[in-house]
Amino acid sequence: MTDRIAQRLKSSGVHAWEISDETTRGREYYFIRHRLDQNRIKDVRHIKLTVYETTDGGETIGSASAEVHLGADDAQIDRIIKDLSYRAGLVKNPYFKLNPPVVSRIEGEAPDLDGICGAFLTVFSQIPETPGEDVNSYEIFVRDVRRRYLNSNGTDVVLRYPTSMAEVIVNARSGGHEIELYRNISSGECDKKRISDTVAEAMRLGSDRLRAQPSSFSGSVPVVFSSAEARGIYEYFLDRLTPDMIFRRFSDWSLGEQICPDAVGDRVTVRTLAFLPGSSSNFAFDDQGAPVRDELLMEAGVPRFITGGRMFSYLMGIEGSFKPTNVVFEGGSKSRDEIMSGAFLEAVEFSDFQVDPITGDVFGEIRLGYMHDGKGGVTPVTGGSVSGSMNDFLKNMTMSVETISDDDMVFPRYTRFEGVTVA
Amino acid sequence: MKAPFSPYLAGIKDGLRLIIAELDKKYDYVSVLATDSTGLSARISRHSRSVSDATMTTERGIVVRVAKDGLYSEYAFNDFDPARAAEKASEIAAELDADLELLRQNGVEPYETGVLSDDPFTLFVEMETERLPETTDVKALVDDLVAISDRGCTLDERVIECIVNAQSTHVCKMFLTKNRDLSQSYVYSEGIVVPFATDGEKNTDGYDGVSGLCGPEIFDRLPDLLDKCVATAIELLGADRVEPGEYEVISSPEVTGLIAHEAFGHGVEMDMFVKNRALGKDYIDKRVGSDLVTMHEGALCATDVTSYAFDDEGVLAGDVTEIDKGILRSGICDALSALRLGVEPTGNGKRENFEHKVYTRMTNTIFDSGESTLDEMIASVKYGYLLEGMESGMEDPKHWGIQCIIKLGREIKDGVLTGRVVAPLIMTGYVPDLLGSISMLSRDREVFGNGGCGKGHKEWVKVADGGPYMKMKVRLG
Repeated sequence: MTDRIAQRLKSSGVHAWEISDETTRGREYYFIRHRLDQNRIKDVRHIKLTVYETTDGGETIGSASAEVHLGADDAQIDRIIKDLSYRAGLVKNPYFKLNPPVVSRIEGEAPDLDGICGAFLTVFSQIPETPGEDVNSYEIFVRDVRRRYLNSNGTDVVLRYPTSMAEVIVNARSGGHEIELYRNISSGECDKKRISDTVAEAMRLGSDRLRAQPSSFSGSVPVVFSSAEARGIYEYFLDRLTPDMIFRRFSDWSLGEQICPDAVGDRVTVRTLAFLPGSSSNFAFDDQGAPVRDELLMEAGVPRFITGGRMFSYLMGIEGSFKPTNVVFEGGSKSRDEIMSGAFLEAVEFSDFQVDPITGDVFGEIRLGYMHDGKGGVTPVTGGSVSGSMNDFLKNMTMSVETISDDDMVFPRYTRFEGVTVA
Repeated sequence: MKAPFSPYLAGIKDGLRLIIAELDKKYDYVSVLATDSTGLSARISRHSRSVSDATMTTERGIVVRVAKDGLYSEYAFNDFDPARAAEKASEIAAELDADLELLRQNGVEPYETGVLSDDPFTLFVEMETERLPETTDVKALVDDLVAISDRGCTLDERVIECIVNAQSTHVCKMFLTKNRDLSQSYVYSEGIVVPFATDGEKNTDGYDGVSGLCGPEIFDRLPDLLDKCVATAIELLGADRVEPGEYEVISSPEVTGLIAHEAFGHGVEMDMFVKNRALGKDYIDKRVGSDLVTMHEGALCATDVTSYAFDDEGVLAGDVTEIDKGILRSGICDALSALRLGVEPTGNGKRENFEHKVYTRMTNTIFDSGESTLDEMIASVKYGYLLEGMESGMEDPKHWGIQCIIKLGREIKDGVLTGRVVAPLIMTGYVPDLLGSISMLSRDREVFGNGGCGKGHKEWVKVADGGPYMKMKVRLG
């Protein structure tokens, strides 16, 4: 059907076009304790068409998009194209071109969904539990995704890959009091070790949360982020390095210029990789048909390559841009002991840790933290919040040498901010 | 005009009935939800403009739910030829059988559940709208949105961008079983204006929106929002940080709605009761707030973005009094959870779309009004803040914690607004403490339906929430 749509487009006279054709076959299992609440199968295909038209003598270009439902005949497809052509002419952006042609029609083998599902079922059934710590519920999602992208420049690329996700709730209980911790583990296929390790660590933290005291501290303290929750901090850097953010002046970072000249702590170095073992994002092409490759994005706080979606990359004159998939942040200069020194709050678990890439605001309600008094005393705490601004934290942020992996990202195991507001 | 029901769905109905008839020979329960929701989305800003047919809830597809020997299974697909319905039924059964065999081989046992009722019922609803997204004048709409965005960028030299988004969705859903035949068609729309400002050191944004159970005619109200949004963005450039601590506050209706939704609404979604993940389960008929607190929840409670006639399990829309003068009376419940808990479903079984499972989800979650005026409430505050602007929140049904991110607070000192603004704010605390501290409510009430709600970090659905101005004590940071 996609080839038929492409043929109709080629004869339609529209200025440019893109087709995204994605088929997903999936299995889902929902468990209450270890009993199956529900199983689901899905078999869906979505074909999205985007048409571009120029206006103002070619100085401006606009786009309109729509889904072409399966079973549409030629007359229906032509009507959609005509409608999109009209709508695209109504919106004006500075002119840009779609990605240059790339052809790659080599599909990988179909993932072994039975095998992946079986692996998930096995690992969850084998999780060690005690009367005080066990699994409350979990959800398993396994997908076989086939994605094809075509554009009017001649690009035609196909990817086929597995993607999986497990969401698990862990309980810890003592003396009639029970708490829960939430974990989400994304991967390509089933990463048994990561699931086992993640759940085991959650159970360990659960017993700490049981005895955590309500956080009563209010003021400004150093905070050490010692878990995968710190991912939000590093996504801030990635977001602010995109052409979208820079062109629109949401980010004032630029190539070759130190992002924080008066920083006295560690400075960030990050690169994007086309392949990262175990990642759910090992793709040869991004969703606009641009080949993905290894690139150094930032070196010691200096942007080296700004890359992202096609439109703003073109407007900024960036050649060879693509949307990064896997990213690796280098560790910093500090040992664990150096980072975890003095009096500080160690933040392990939040309700919803947020770092706003436009304003730099940082927020999170503490579900589990540890107050370190600097004299060896460590008290688990819960409740209250951390807040502040990356504009301030960047000045003396420090990072551990050691790093951790979280699906498609590697980042420092421990990150320390000074002067965080705790309420 | 009435929003016309989808001809596509009408055309495949007989084929779906055949699927039900075939599967009924094998299963204890069979239902089909078929959806065909179309839309229009215009995203306009200084630097990027586009038009699309995709909104948060546009979809076309079918999900079949079956039950056998106490286990529920579902099959979702979007490639359906009614002429091959019998073959499709066989294919569905074969694939589910294969999956069950895999589960059996792995020693999986079901959470045994009874059979959902299938009482005969027929409903056909086409709700009123002035315009439809699929036939609205797109040029006129785009021109209007461009004018708003362009004007926003000129109101102050510190404004670097002004985003205006308008989305309208024509929802059509059909729920069929052997005995039930429910069809609904309605239109909802939402729009927002978001100017961004910078002073070279700091970036801020102001925003406001409109939403309703109506068509694109609602976007005529967007220009009226612009001046205030820009003024807010500029005002926030000079905002201070709040001194962390506990304060008397008055929440604007939008923030009241956020509290209703995050602090309490999620806490009584009864699928969490089944899993023992909600503290609310132990508080039915017990006090959770002050005498002033009454809260309603249901698709019938208000007329806004999620005021449907029936939910995604074919249960009619409801209106539940969750809290009555401070006493927790009821949660909300999808059909399967209701079966497991031995209660009646409340019409709150919702899917993100046909590809997703049903969970207990909110619709309209609203605090009842009170007797005070806003002026009286401000005058009663010795030192505190008037909170405005909902940013985000996160639920914690198990522990009744609160996380609400608020755009700004206006300082009140000795009963008077001082003009000082603090921003942004994170509100935390313990739900019964917050609800127990509510001491005044205003007479008015507003409902807001912009944005979306997740169950944890996924499963996004449309919701609306709101209430009056509300005075209480909270922790701010």
